[in-house]
Amino acid sequence: MNVDKTQLITKIFTPELRKNADALLAKYETKRASILMVLRLLQDHYGFLNQEAQDAVACYLDLPEIDVREVMTFYTLFYDKPRAKTEFHVCRTLTCSMMGSDAVVRCLEEKLGVKEGEITADGQFMFEQVECLGACEIAPMLQVNEGEYVGNLTREIMGQLLEDSKQGKLEALKLAKKTPLEK
Amino acid sequence: MEKLISKYFIPGKTFWLADYEKDGGYQAARTVFESRTREAVIEEVKKSNLRGLGGAGFPTGMKWSFVPQNTGKPVYLVVNADEGEPGTFKDKYILVHAPHLLLEGIIIAAFANNVHKAFVYIRGEYALAAEVMEKAIEEARAKGYVGEKCFGKDYELEVVVHRGAGAYICGEETGLLESLEGKRAYPRLKPPFPAVVGLFASPTVINNVETLACIPYILNRGAEWYAKLGSDKNGGMRLLCVSGHVKKPGIYELPLGIKLRDVIFEHAGGIINDRKLKAVVPGGLSAAILTADEIDVGMDFDQLRALNTMAGSGGVIVMDETTSMVEALLVTMRFYAHESCGQCSPCREGTGWVYKILNRVVAGEGRKEDIDKLLDICSFLGGTTICALADGAAMPLRSYPTKFRAEFEDYIAQKKSNPYIRSRLFHHASSTKRGGEREYVELGDRLSSLSP
Amino acid sequence: MPKLTIDGKEVEVAPGTRVIEAAKKLGIDVPYYCYHPGLSVAGNCRMCLVEIEKMPKLQIACHMTAADGMVVKTNTEKVLKTRQHVLEFLLINHPVDCPVCDQAGECWLQDYYMKHGLYNSRLEEYKNKKPKAVSLGPTVMLDAERCILCSRCVRFCDEIPKTSELGFIERGDHTEIAVSPGKNLDNKYSGCTVDICPVGALTDKDFRFKIRVWYLREGNSICNGCSRGCNIQVHYNIDRPHHGRERVKRLKPRYNEHVNKWWMCDEGRYGYKFHDINRLSEPVKRTKESVTPVTWDESLAEAALKIQGSAGKTGVFVSPQLSNEELYLVKKLFQDSLKAKVILVSPNAEGYQDDILIRADKNPNSKGAQAMGFNYEKDAAEKFIDECDAGKAEGIVIFGQDLLSRLNPAKVQSALSKLKWSLFIGTNQNLTSETVSLVLPSATHVEKDGTFTNFEGIIQKFDKVLEPAALARPEWLIMADLARHLGVHWTYEGPEDVFNEMALTNTVFAGLTYEKLKAVGEDIRTMAAPTIPALQQFDEIL
Repeated sequence: MNVDKTQLITKIFTPELRKNADALLAKYETKRASILMVLRLLQDHYGFLNQEAQDAVACYLDLPEIDVREVMTFYTLFYDKPRAKTEFHVCRTLTCSMMGSDAVVRCLEEKLGVKEGEITADGQFMFEQVECLGACEIAPMLQVNEGEYVGNLTREIMGQLLEDSKQGKLEALKLAKKTPLEK
Repeated sequence: MEKLISKYFIPGKTFWLADYEKDGGYQAARTVFESRTREAVIEEVKKSNLRGLGGAGFPTGMKWSFVPQNTGKPVYLVVNADEGEPGTFKDKYILVHAPHLLLEGIIIAAFANNVHKAFVYIRGEYALAAEVMEKAIEEARAKGYVGEKCFGKDYELEVVVHRGAGAYICGEETGLLESLEGKRAYPRLKPPFPAVVGLFASPTVINNVETLACIPYILNRGAEWYAKLGSDKNGGMRLLCVSGHVKKPGIYELPLGIKLRDVIFEHAGGIINDRKLKAVVPGGLSAAILTADEIDVGMDFDQLRALNTMAGSGGVIVMDETTSMVEALLVTMRFYAHESCGQCSPCREGTGWVYKILNRVVAGEGRKEDIDKLLDICSFLGGTTICALADGAAMPLRSYPTKFRAEFEDYIAQKKSNPYIRSRLFHHASSTKRGGEREYVELGDRLSSLSP
Repeated sequence: MPKLTIDGKEVEVAPGTRVIEAAKKLGIDVPYYCYHPGLSVAGNCRMCLVEIEKMPKLQIACHMTAADGMVVKTNTEKVLKTRQHVLEFLLINHPVDCPVCDQAGECWLQDYYMKHGLYNSRLEEYKNKKPKAVSLGPTVMLDAERCILCSRCVRFCDEIPKTSELGFIERGDHTEIAVSPGKNLDNKYSGCTVDICPVGALTDKDFRFKIRVWYLREGNSICNGCSRGCNIQVHYNIDRPHHGRERVKRLKPRYNEHVNKWWMCDEGRYGYKFHDINRLSEPVKRTKESVTPVTWDESLAEAALKIQGSAGKTGVFVSPQLSNEELYLVKKLFQDSLKAKVILVSPNAEGYQDDILIRADKNPNSKGAQAMGFNYEKDAAEKFIDECDAGKAEGIVIFGQDLLSRLNPAKVQSALSKLKWSLFIGTNQNLTSETVSLVLPSATHVEKDGTFTNFEGIIQKFDKVLEPAALARPEWLIMADLARHLGVHWTYEGPEDVFNEMALTNTVFAGLTYEKLKAVGEDIRTMAAPTIPALQQFDEIL
């Protein structure tokens, strides 16, 4: 049993990840308290957290496996399925909705050819609607790759944003995701 | 009018430690460590009439005085930077532009409550804010303002940045504590209150970002000065977040008690295209809505409470005559149904039910009885739950159909609809059926599809 | 000691008592789902909201600690209306599965609706879809739509077996109960989650679709699976044979503060099949040539003859599965009167033990045997078998043990063939019962009255729930008849008479009566949900 645990941890936690995870663990009074930060660390590296990764976290933090799944599925920013290279999170709460978030959604559907939650065939793009991102002053707005907020959206700005991503210019704007998807 | 906090909100600029100190920063903290006692600091904050600016408006000094110092357990300070209340965006600015102002407030609050470890819980979406805060803490550590010997005194203070992962309920005090402890953010039963049994079962102070950002000013210039800036029992200024159908949406640092009419028309430039004002949400999504006739109220905690609404988080959402109140209510209730943690039955089932009813109404299939049904559900949604999310859902739910009844009746009678603002409630729910995918059947799938 | 007033009645309680327990003390029922006296407080169902003077909002009775001078009202209009609406909320997404749900008839949603609901449904929306008929493990089936998310099962797995298999996933009204993919709900107490689930979300695979609960009758007994002696209820069906020949349909635990609290282990819970399967149905005489059924009179006369003939050369393998009364009679008849050699032999090997309920000794009455002077002696059984093999003994009485499995089969086989006679008195067929010369079918412990003494010395009564199967008879009756054939006349009319005699002659039982022993062991359903009645017995066959 213990052999399996260590093997699993070594498989998922590369030496670099392990070092960073240990540093995070040291900041909290209990192992469990570091779970959000550890999950984020792994997700930033792998792009999403499959069952094996979740089990590895459970082993690493000495938690029952179900506890990791409980936390993962509760929060909207953890994914257990692969995502696209570039994601747009479009805010749909009151001010953004009033200022035309539905038009932003339709624009994305049109330009990308996919519906909300679907990944484009080339794996490059997807978009989702999310609740208030705390940027009502620039409504309607969206967030790119959990990074930059892009607001006061118009068709032109949307077009430019998609152009930039397609041409890899989001890298320069530091809006690209940290690692490309694997697994 | 002197701007205390918003003077730092210069686009693209962060006031790093050198800039902040040039402006007089960390003087208050230094003085506190040098020559003040804990009790004196708490007294000062009490006298300033500073109210919690995250939403509840609880007097900050009083909150600090509830913390027992004799339990043998360490006292924690948790900074609530979850800023999830729709309509609110001020804490984001403080974190990104003036992290040291916040940090100084944290240090003084820590000293006042004998805290040696503070957590800054920043919502997961604020990646930049978390990065800035981490850097600011490192700068402060290098200068000896946090760490083992704060300001050269025998006082240790560790400040840890903790990032959330996308849940509005983490803004609720005890939900935040559960999340910080690594669990699902299910709010706790109260009593006991966090001041006595909080983080890791120890006494804990939880304060909003903006509240703490006011502390250095109070200590520097005195409680009396600060109290006079505001209104009776509501001291100081606050960062009002104005958004919606106004010409100049943004942050307006104004005294507590300023008239809502002035905020909208004098400061935020009035309505876009000079259209007519229809309604205002005065204090974040959970505040009951005010009609255009009710905007002569002073924006402080007590005056707004008297109108059966609240000052809340200071999020002012302005709606003009083009707004459909029915659709606005759908969007509002969809938010609560999406963010309900699901722990207790009235909120979990009630928010979902109300959302489904409104979804049906906005699909053109509403019935006359639906309005009274919504109002009845509302009576038992509020006041029966573990935390105030359901109360926050109940307030708009009651005020919209009450104050705009004719519009609701008309919408239903005429079978109006808007397929474009309806969307799935949850879109990435994972499958639990062993070995198979499972479809969520939602109204949008069964009825008309969401076509452009 | 705080004194509080509930619905105008005053009650004094221990400090720290919750209002809901204080109300129970007064006989006032406050409905609840998530509260369980044996688990931590969750406070999430909101069904127990009550009015407390000087508090503006309603408070949950399961969490609020009783304070001196508190005034509580549980039946004002506000409370009743709130209860009704909370119930309505719980039923919003609940599937109308009653016709196919095992829980029907003992479902808290049904029962509370009849008592606290009685409103017309005004739900016109679709209900959320969740997985149905999900196997969580070897014993439990989940229907996630029926779940009201009270978290009782999650808290149970965290706090009692401490195995934490269950958890909540997703959020809001899409929340579900789940196990981690690839894992099972397979702790040794998994069946308890079905007991505590108030609705049909967690159902027992063993009981699934077997029979409607309102067709069940029930009786009290004690589990015979180990020396813990968990208090149980036997749920059985004898009125409707078309629901299956097996009479016992399931076992449920009874609450006993000192023995098993609210719980019982899976092995005990599912170990009831032996009452109806592979039973010895009639006395049988076996010779080298033939196996013939005989009447009781014949077989008893034959047995008495043989026993008398082998006076002083008889061995008796007494079992710790026998009741105290029967052990007493074995002592009286075989040891004292007949001077036979009595050896205590367990029919089971020692097994798994934990610090929750399960004991390594898989017999209910080893302690009772001890009180009668029968102790386990190492290798005593083997030694006697050797004596039989060497021709030093003539006959053996076996009380149900399968010697051919427990001891060296070759030696036992050889010994049995060398003996003049062997008498097997037991309930179920086994290798030994198919080898001996005379078989007398006996009653299982649900088919007779009696007492067991558990490993801590607690004496507990089990009731006669069923009539003995086929022609079986309880051991005490068999021994009384044997005694009569041997010229010893006892005047016992039932096990109670035996027990009363024991109370007079043995200090261990001094001062006890069946009446006194009957009072212990409450129905967990009346405990756990005050307004749920125990199964109502239907005497008329519909």
